[in-house]
Amino acid sequence: MSTFKLEIVATDKVFFRGDAEFVVIPALDGEMGVLAGHDTMVAAVKAGELRYTVNGQTELCAVGDGFAEILGDRVTIICDFAERAVDIDVMRAERAKERAEERIQAKKSQIEFVHSQAALARAMARLKVTSKINKR
Amino acid sequence: MASMQEIRTRINSVKDTMKITNAMYLISSSKLRKARNGRDATAPYFDTLQATINDILIRTPELSSQGLFENREKKDKIKRCFIVVSSDKGLAGAYNHNVFKLVDEKIAAAEDNVDPVNQLILVGHMGLTYFKGRDDVEIDEEHIYPCTDPKMYRAREIAEHMIKLFLEDEVDEIYVAYTKMVNSMVFTPKIMRILPLTRGMFEDAPEMNEGLEEPIFTPSPEEVLQHIVPNYVKGLIYGAIVESFACEQSARMTAMDNATTNAKDMIDELSLIYNRVRQAAITQEITEIVSGAQSTN
Repeated sequence: MSTFKLEIVATDKVFFRGDAEFVVIPALDGEMGVLAGHDTMVAAVKAGELRYTVNGQTELCAVGDGFAEILGDRVTIICDFAERAVDIDVMRAERAKERAEERIQAKKSQIEFVHSQAALARAMARLKVTSKINKR
Repeated sequence: MASMQEIRTRINSVKDTMKITNAMYLISSSKLRKARNGRDATAPYFDTLQATINDILIRTPELSSQGLFENREKKDKIKRCFIVVSSDKGLAGAYNHNVFKLVDEKIAAAEDNVDPVNQLILVGHMGLTYFKGRDDVEIDEEHIYPCTDPKMYRAREIAEHMIKLFLEDEVDEIYVAYTKMVNSMVFTPKIMRILPLTRGMFEDAPEMNEGLEEPIFTPSPEEVLQHIVPNYVKGLIYGAIVESFACEQSARMTAMDNATTNAKDMIDELSLIYNRVRQAAITQEITEIVSGAQSTN
């Protein structure tokens, strides 16, 4: 299968850099699959689940907000965080989710609401990925 | 020549100061390790972010959305805003001063259509001491951020504030002044424009042109940019703070190391003088005794 160069850069590390066959990006309007030879494209990434396939092996991970540039045989994804499913601290994500939900319930100012919503999205992205891996 | 007592007091006081500078040297060297690790981890993100945004800008012919770009309505007086990243504490050699000097130059080099009063957002409290009370700047005292231990949420806070100011037309150009680590010994202060976005605004970004195809934006250019720009502003501010923080620790370490070396030299010199004075006193005493003994004979 033909491959392309995939680069996933998070704020605190280069999460992945290498040849991949397939990547599924959580774009704003739903999941978007990218194969080699894709058209030039810029997509906004929202917190969610990202999958990429290297040598037939699919890796599941959670990513934060960011964006992706698809250019020739290169895909660059820049995001706030990227974590492998097995590395996610479920307890921490659960607590973050609860806190965010409580804050949303409390109905604070608009800015705080946006912050809580973003925090909730991050926690949900992590939890979604881990729940999938546990089912397997 | 000073008396022995005086020189001894002087030596002791230099020794005390040396203890302090040496302790600060040790503290900053351990802090530096942490800051360097953080900086090395963030550097790829910072560089890739600039390169990618640069590439998107080059490829996209018409950016009209939201007025975040160069083609927003022109005004007679352009209001500039600088995010100045300095340190919370001094004793870091010329680190703070280099950034301030660069900002001063940039303020002084304003063209005619630029409002002479510049807005400042300070990260690090040293900026307040330097810029306070001047009439060519206006400091937003409600938005002074500490720079120690750079955190993402703080960058997000600054970015949100900046975008709000920009969209409400309070400011027209936003710059960030920070210190870039060229290598572990060389730091250069830099001013980088954050907004509005223009083609070719990142001079050092590596070229990644492979043809100049226009990208497809999904779902739409407006929505994508609305999402990307805040993320980019936040990332850029975060990167700048992390970079500066590592430089600050390094600058402090060097400054304190120099201070300790200087103190050692000073003690050496003073000890020499002290010994000479002591020797002179002994010689004088012997001469007095001998001459006294001679006169009784």
